[in-house]
Amino acid sequence: MYRALTGACSIFALAVSAFAAEPDPLPPDASFRPLPTMPFSRAKEIDEAQKPQVMERQRDMLEARYDLANRPMDGVMMSGGRKPVQDGVRVRLPQGQSWEGLAGMAAQDILESDLLPDGFKPLPHVKQTAGGQVFPDVEIDDMAEQEQRDLRRFDVDFDLPDHLTPEFPPPIFLTNHPELGDVSHGELLSMRNHYEIMNGLLTPVQMEGLRILLSSFPQEEFNQTEDRKVAEPSIGVACLDCHANFHTNAAFHLTPDVRPQAARFRLDTPSLRGMFNQQIHGSKRSLRSVEDFTEFEQHTAYFNGDHVSASRKGAHIPDRAHKVALMAQMQNMIDFPPAPKLDPLGRLIPELATEQELMGEEVFNDKGQCAVCHVPNTAFMDQQMHDLRLERFYKPGETVNDFVLLPDGPIKTFTLRGIKDSPPYLHDGRLPTLADTVEFFNLVLGTNLTQPEKDALVAYMLTL
Amino acid sequence: MRAAALAIVFTLLPIMASAQIGNPGFMAPNTRFAAPGVPAQNQPNTADTLFAQLAAEGGLAEVDFAQLASDRGQASSVGDFASRMVDDHSTANDNLTDLAAKSNISLPEEMNPAHAAMRGQLEDLDGAAFDLAYMRGQVVDHQKTATLLMWEIDAGQDSGLQQFAAETLPTVLEHLRMAREIVADLAREQVAAD
Repeated sequence: MYRALTGACSIFALAVSAFAAEPDPLPPDASFRPLPTMPFSRAKEIDEAQKPQVMERQRDMLEARYDLANRPMDGVMMSGGRKPVQDGVRVRLPQGQSWEGLAGMAAQDILESDLLPDGFKPLPHVKQTAGGQVFPDVEIDDMAEQEQRDLRRFDVDFDLPDHLTPEFPPPIFLTNHPELGDVSHGELLSMRNHYEIMNGLLTPVQMEGLRILLSSFPQEEFNQTEDRKVAEPSIGVACLDCHANFHTNAAFHLTPDVRPQAARFRLDTPSLRGMFNQQIHGSKRSLRSVEDFTEFEQHTAYFNGDHVSASRKGAHIPDRAHKVALMAQMQNMIDFPPAPKLDPLGRLIPELATEQELMGEEVFNDKGQCAVCHVPNTAFMDQQMHDLRLERFYKPGETVNDFVLLPDGPIKTFTLRGIKDSPPYLHDGRLPTLADTVEFFNLVLGTNLTQPEKDALVAYMLTL
Repeated sequence: MRAAALAIVFTLLPIMASAQIGNPGFMAPNTRFAAPGVPAQNQPNTADTLFAQLAAEGGLAEVDFAQLASDRGQASSVGDFASRMVDDHSTANDNLTDLAAKSNISLPEEMNPAHAAMRGQLEDLDGAAFDLAYMRGQVVDHQKTATLLMWEIDAGQDSGLQQFAAETLPTVLEHLRMAREIVADLAREQVAAD
């Protein structure tokens, strides 16, 4: 008994000594959002004083990475016919380099000589320390007019030129009414107009799903508390404020899936078109249904993956049976834009396609390796996440505008149907044009495409 | 007068260019500003102070462990790694000491209890067992340091310390990559030897 007790005591002593040797953890704000310490009016004043420098720093970074000029393709419009598609490679090359030269180099040599174009690296948010949702002016103005709701932040503005973003308002194509084409009336869906626009086209449960998707709820930067970035206490934001007309207006955010704050990468709003075929959701989280994603967005897009902050500002967790199901059913009615040159299996119809488009399809399926993930007969995706391991080409850890450039890790394959409608490209919007995506993947996958092959790939992607 | 004002502007420009731009909602109400929106230099917030202290503690242990590893390490990769740690961390520790002094932050002069315990365990080992224990500890320490540096980059306010964190991070990630590779090699060798 005595020996057993001694044994137990020694084990206890060991456990205590091991525990005592544990270092203190970092403070809670390494993971959780801190509570504000500065009175709102003074925080706003300081934010406003910082804003010119914030915007100038971001502009300088963007100018150094990209040619941001307005250079549309001849006669190629987005699906709604409201905005031309931009032409050419916009990522700037390092001094004295060529795309062919870079593509011919080994990854290790590019890393050691620091030759990866900066535009291929993760794109910083306009203000990393604050992060959060930033809307383009077109969305802000439209919502101000329709709903008298303020989506303008006082600390930052949207950072990309309008011609490098999707057309606005985007057209809406319904799977249950393909014969109608774009049903948006050229308007941005809002709480005010959606019933008039959609009555007769949607079932009651879809209509109710739409209404909830257009309802505003408190969000990290748009809420009633002192911890907000909008001038007046706000009733919040709606799902479709970013996913404008179920597509995207290029509003951006920070990923909810990473900490600490400096490591959180930018997220470009993805389109909801073709949701009916998408099996995994969230660029990193791989949620397995649109219902799961819809339910959980209150914790992520709205509150950065911080349920504690959400509880303070007013989370609205939609009821699974009566709200989420309706919202999901509405989203699943949103079709891709028509692609008249594609057959039912996602292949080009030869008599409708040009020689260059057909060549592009061949490159896509073979030498370019695109179809390995963007599988034509499953809506140009593979329901997988892949790690491109871009860190083979650059040394991680550099800090740009308070954002630490780190490996992306696995990211979801996005569909390429209707891809000309959704610039900028990649999950963070680091690539302004389709030609940029061709150069990016040519390097990352080591496919050594010729210039005619690259041009053909772009021509092919315009048909999707 | 105008010349003086210009001189202030030009002195501030490089500071503003290199400084992080924080979220003012989380700043202390008594923060002093050098220019509108730009906190005065050498004005650490609680994150800066804690960062400097934790980084200094870690730096002390890094150099101490590396000196031990230079004596006891068996594999040449471990010896090379240890001498790189002595060089890199000694420089970093000196820089940190200067920056902390400018901002009036007192730094610890001894290892924390966790590192002292680790030191005790390492002293009892030699040969391949020492190599593996030292290098496994290095992986964890560099993971923690990388997180600490990233945290400071956004949570801190002292531009000198934040710049130090940003400049040190790539090197720490490089050390971590090296340590992970060495651990993988050592573990393979140990399995082959068993």
